[in-house]
Amino acid sequence: MNYLKSEEIMELFQNRLGKQAIIDSRIETKIAGIKKNTYQVIWIGVKPNFFKEAVKILVELHYPHFAIISGIDIDKEIELVYHFSIYYGEKGKEISINIFTFLSKDNLNIPTITDLIPGAQTSERETKEMFGVNFEGLPSLPNLFLPYDFPSGVYPLRKDEKGVGVKVSEGDEVKKGE
Amino acid sequence: MSNKTYSIPIGPVHPSLKEPMTFHFEIYGERIEKVHLAPGDNHRGIEFMGRQRNPIQIIYLAERICGICSASHPFAFCQAVENAMGIEVPEKAQYIRAIIAELERIHSHILWAGVAAHELGFDSVLFLSWRAREEVLDLLEYLTGNRINYGIFMIGGVRRDITSEQITRIKKTLDYYKEIYGKLEDIFLNDPTIALRTKKVGILSKEEAIQLSAVGPTARASGLNKDVRQDQPYAAYADLEVQAITPEVYSGKVNGDVYDRIVVRLLEIVQSIQIIEQCLANLPEGEIVAEEKLVKLLNLIKKAQGEGIGRHEAPRGEVIHYVKLNQSELPEVWKARAPTYNNLMPWIPMLIGQQIADIPIVLASIDPCIACMDRVTILDRKSGQKNILTKDDLHKLSVEKTRRMAQ
Amino acid sequence: MKLNKYFERSLWVFHLNTGSCNGCDIEIVAGLTPRYDLERFGIKLVGSPKHADVLLVTGPVTSKMADRVKRVYAQTPDPKAVIVVGTCGISGGVFYNSYNLSGSIDKVIPVDVYVPGCPPRPEAIINGVLQAWIKLEKLRKTLKDNSPAK
Repeated sequence: MNYLKSEEIMELFQNRLGKQAIIDSRIETKIAGIKKNTYQVIWIGVKPNFFKEAVKILVELHYPHFAIISGIDIDKEIELVYHFSIYYGEKGKEISINIFTFLSKDNLNIPTITDLIPGAQTSERETKEMFGVNFEGLPSLPNLFLPYDFPSGVYPLRKDEKGVGVKVSEGDEVKKGE
Repeated sequence: MSNKTYSIPIGPVHPSLKEPMTFHFEIYGERIEKVHLAPGDNHRGIEFMGRQRNPIQIIYLAERICGICSASHPFAFCQAVENAMGIEVPEKAQYIRAIIAELERIHSHILWAGVAAHELGFDSVLFLSWRAREEVLDLLEYLTGNRINYGIFMIGGVRRDITSEQITRIKKTLDYYKEIYGKLEDIFLNDPTIALRTKKVGILSKEEAIQLSAVGPTARASGLNKDVRQDQPYAAYADLEVQAITPEVYSGKVNGDVYDRIVVRLLEIVQSIQIIEQCLANLPEGEIVAEEKLVKLLNLIKKAQGEGIGRHEAPRGEVIHYVKLNQSELPEVWKARAPTYNNLMPWIPMLIGQQIADIPIVLASIDPCIACMDRVTILDRKSGQKNILTKDDLHKLSVEKTRRMAQ
Repeated sequence: MKLNKYFERSLWVFHLNTGSCNGCDIEIVAGLTPRYDLERFGIKLVGSPKHADVLLVTGPVTSKMADRVKRVYAQTPDPKAVIVVGTCGISGGVFYNSYNLSGSIDKVIPVDVYVPGCPPRPEAIINGVLQAWIKLEKLRKTLKDNSPAK
């Protein structure tokens, strides 16, 4: 199998998507063990409308292992980080690729990747429930984690007024002092 | 003949489930036609709680995501924070981490073997394997102070050293496992009853495993050559020869059934023993933690900015933690992904077409850890309802439960 | 043969996980397996609360499970005893400030014996079960003495 280097992968993304699509990109090299072997982690930030294309490039390169979507509530935007890894199966060849994108809270839409990677369904449904991100093309399924009668418009991991807030019930904590 | 299917709910409280989780099966005769998974009974809101604690406190929270993987989650979390902050872990600490993680794998796989035997109604094997498991718990207690929730991980290293006299004790336990392994292998792989119940049951093909992003022994039993220790070696694994174990090693072919999952887990016990022996032989000298003083470490965290991921091959598969620090005591975000989360979707192809009586063993075959998987599920506090099912649902559940119990 | 005045008959236990991390649960099973061997006293885990004398409850009670805990408690025949195993079931433990927990187990159902620890050792769990047994036998005796049939 022909393995591309991290730099070449980065170049591939830049060539295929064009410079304007990429917000940020960096390659981190991590060291492990006495022999100081290294492994690499790639971070690529893309604009939301190029996101699906970026995943397609990845799938063509080598069918990636999809780990999870991390969501971060940053003021007026929600950042989604998709964690992938490619080139597994051989010692030390695997590269972690994290593709992140920023969605404005006015327009929380992103295309689904379940047509490319069916295993992403759980994570997309979770992100939908926790952050209110709409995955275009994801079939409308009942809540996976939240109860079915959960009020709409409340997204627990949001830090703004749509979240459950940080003032949580401290029932048990109060009891400690008794 | 009508094609009507019947629906059976299983869980959240059910003798074949050690942890709360709900399943709805649509069955036609004895055959399972559809599976609906409804997790969420075990959700404690751990990521939410993590928002209000500093990374050092989170280590102990991460440990308690799951009592069986209580080395895996802190391992991945500490790596994520170290990657975000750019801390380099001392070599000796990397080795101690690997030793603890492998001891945990031995305990977890033997535990699983016992539970799987129990699900098949083979309780004498449950007792035999759990007796064998006690030895590694004794060793873990000797090394870390605790049987479960070891509390040995720290950002930048470990909290306890392994001294030369402890090495003799570790070797003694490893010898015990080498001795007993033959017996375990004989019971699980040569027993005709176990073979009858597990061969050609709960099959997951390699393609499905790849597409559904299966991890750990579940993926490897389907022939997917994937193991973080091999693919992206971290900590001490970078120095060692670790090869992902697929069932070909044992039988020459891959079926992707429950039997293959037993094979993979049993062989991994041997692999873990070998890894620990290699670690002990090459155990370097030196510091065990990058920054000993917690206050100083916390100050470093407060100044740090960056993001990092930490990956570790837990007994059940890849654990991945993502941490983003933003010059504050509290992390901007902490995301934990446990292996059972990814192995949730592969359950569906495994279960469809199986018989009702095979449900327990197929469910157990991925070694589910609902406590790990459910940490993200969230319920609403605002609605103030403790009872989240509608009354109709409850009634239906109740009637169905009575029926089930009356059988 | 009676071991002593408390050992009237075998004790059957129903184990209920209300959102625990598994730590206590595997220690409970460890208590039943050969090293600690609770079964030599006739104590065993049963599959239905309707067969049980004692409820062994672990975990910090997630909101979704709170109702189930009540239902399981109601299904257990009297006289019964409830044992809470693990710190998180007693006070919330590390999970003290979550919004999704209905609070400690004693806020949901009455509790007789508390076994602290995160997780407690099997010896501690065995001690807890014996305490519940003593209480249960006393309860049984009172019921017998006060029964109208006498």
